[in-house]
Amino acid sequence: MSHASILHLTDDTTPGGVMRVIDNILSSKHLAKTANHRMAVVKKNQLILPTAGVDVIVSHLALNWRNFAARARLRAMHPNIPMIHVEHSYTQGFVAQKVLNKVRFFAMLRSAFCLFDRVIAVSNAQKDWLIRRDLIDEDRLSVIRSSVELTGFEALPKPRTQARVFGLVGRLHEQKGFDIAIRAFRECSGPDLRLKVFGDGPMRGELEQLAYCDPRITFHGHCDDPLEPMRSIDALLMPSRWEAYGLVAREAQSAGRKVIVSSIDGLQDHISDGAIDVHDHSISAWSQAIIRAADAVDKNRCTKMVKPRTGATRFEAEWEKCLESV
Amino acid sequence: MPRASIIVPAFNASATIAETLKSLQDQSFQDFEVIVVNDGSTDHTVDVVAPFLRDNRFHVVKQPNRGLAGARNTGIANAAGYYIGFCDSDDLWVADKLARHILHLDMSPDVGLSYAGSLMIDDHGQPLGLKQTPRLHSITAAEVFKRNPVGNGSVAVFRRAALMDIAYTPQKDRPRQWFFDETFRQSEDIECWLRLALTTDWEIEGILGHLTKYRIACGGLSANTKQLASWKRMVNKLRPLNPGFFDTHEPAARAYQIRYLARRAVSAGDGFKASKYAHEFLKTSLRPLWEEPLKTLTTLAAAECLARTGYDPMRFASVLRR
Repeated sequence: MSHASILHLTDDTTPGGVMRVIDNILSSKHLAKTANHRMAVVKKNQLILPTAGVDVIVSHLALNWRNFAARARLRAMHPNIPMIHVEHSYTQGFVAQKVLNKVRFFAMLRSAFCLFDRVIAVSNAQKDWLIRRDLIDEDRLSVIRSSVELTGFEALPKPRTQARVFGLVGRLHEQKGFDIAIRAFRECSGPDLRLKVFGDGPMRGELEQLAYCDPRITFHGHCDDPLEPMRSIDALLMPSRWEAYGLVAREAQSAGRKVIVSSIDGLQDHISDGAIDVHDHSISAWSQAIIRAADAVDKNRCTKMVKPRTGATRFEAEWEKCLESV
Repeated sequence: MPRASIIVPAFNASATIAETLKSLQDQSFQDFEVIVVNDGSTDHTVDVVAPFLRDNRFHVVKQPNRGLAGARNTGIANAAGYYIGFCDSDDLWVADKLARHILHLDMSPDVGLSYAGSLMIDDHGQPLGLKQTPRLHSITAAEVFKRNPVGNGSVAVFRRAALMDIAYTPQKDRPRQWFFDETFRQSEDIECWLRLALTTDWEIEGILGHLTKYRIACGGLSANTKQLASWKRMVNKLRPLNPGFFDTHEPAARAYQIRYLARRAVSAGDGFKASKYAHEFLKTSLRPLWEEPLKTLTTLAAAECLARTGYDPMRFASVLRR
């Protein structure tokens, strides 16, 4: 494909994983060699898109019954443009906790996926779920694990060998399970331990209430610079209730930080990369995990070999391959 | 590879296990294996099981005592079947139970746990005239929590993939995988079903019929508060998973638990306890009253009648049944 024009659609411009992944694609020099990537924001299922001269549409949109008609219309208006959908949100954990009528929900996902030529899962665990649930045919599905520019994280000073400062990074929303981490942290006695919470969201008041009277727990709000939270912590806690991939775990690992995740959904992908898993969401299991991480003197983890970046990262190469295939 | 594995945890089960294994051998669906987990028995369970081993579908795994949950976990680790069922060593399976569950699971790829009703039998295998007839469809996590439609541990037949989705490896017992939580001595069943409902998207669905004969030993159903304590422990364990769910449903679920204790107290002829539990469950939540008015009102009436007159209304009922 020689300099194709690729349009990325999104309806969620809040600072978070989705926007950062799109930014990464847009700013990639490697991908810019073969194609011209642009982004358009879809507001309120608007009809008119700057699609003149577009060769491929990549949807980062949310799918649900309410906007199903708009998605179908998008397909109908551009019958000849290949369309790729990146599934950033739905996972088994999400369905278990948030979906009341599973049959209806799966019918929506199956029909919506039919509108696209190719669907991209953001983690292997999500892919396995989509196939096991027969939501899409295997030959129309690929996995591209989300990624952002990691050089900055790799260059960060290494954390101390014994984890003292734990961090929670993300939106303060029930999905992230920060309430579990705060409760568990309160059960850990070390006076020199710290828990820093970065981010903002609907649960802020509730979480501050939970942390009440424990001066070791501090709230820092949202940071525009993703390096800043990582610089000040030794270990990252991710007790998410559902998570399609969990980009921040990847960032923390490249910064050499310990990462402790619940073994659900896309977070399972990080376990094989060295994250520590906690087997359930109970307070006792999480406080034990925190204590173990604080006690362990990590000897073998030291200067990680920074992989020489010749040419493309895996993320870029996979995107290139996927775009060529359509 | 057999199509189904049936796991039979056995601890000092010499009196009943022969009948259990016979009921499995007589299943109309024959492509299965039976894994008897001898959970540190100190009686002659081994000798009773021995004749069955001539049938090469029967296997025994031995381990030091770990309890029911631990025995089932070991059984699952040794199971090769695509479907995995459980039958405790004092219960019986009706001859076409396996066939019907396999048909159900084959036809419904989204169902991870298939169950059916149960018949209660006494020490001698005679029917007690009591049945568990649970709701079969539209089973939500709330329904599992409040009413436990699966009922008892000899009912469930799982799809292997569903069990694997709830597997975990606790730090202190590596590398063994747990499906049932071995730290529980009671409520391990409901903990497992509820965890499946709260953390996976597998459907839980029942089929018609009373396909398990569930043995109630003499006096085995007396009301005991230990049961309520382990139930509360289960709630505390699972609450962080989905606090909103527990905030909404816990009072009603607790009321159903206490109502169950009140019913047990009536059966045991303990009027004082029956009336105490009856008042307690009404105070906890009135939901059972409008969700299941008939059962709730008869429970209340029976408890009051027993407490005030000392006459056990269940005896009257059993006279009527004859």
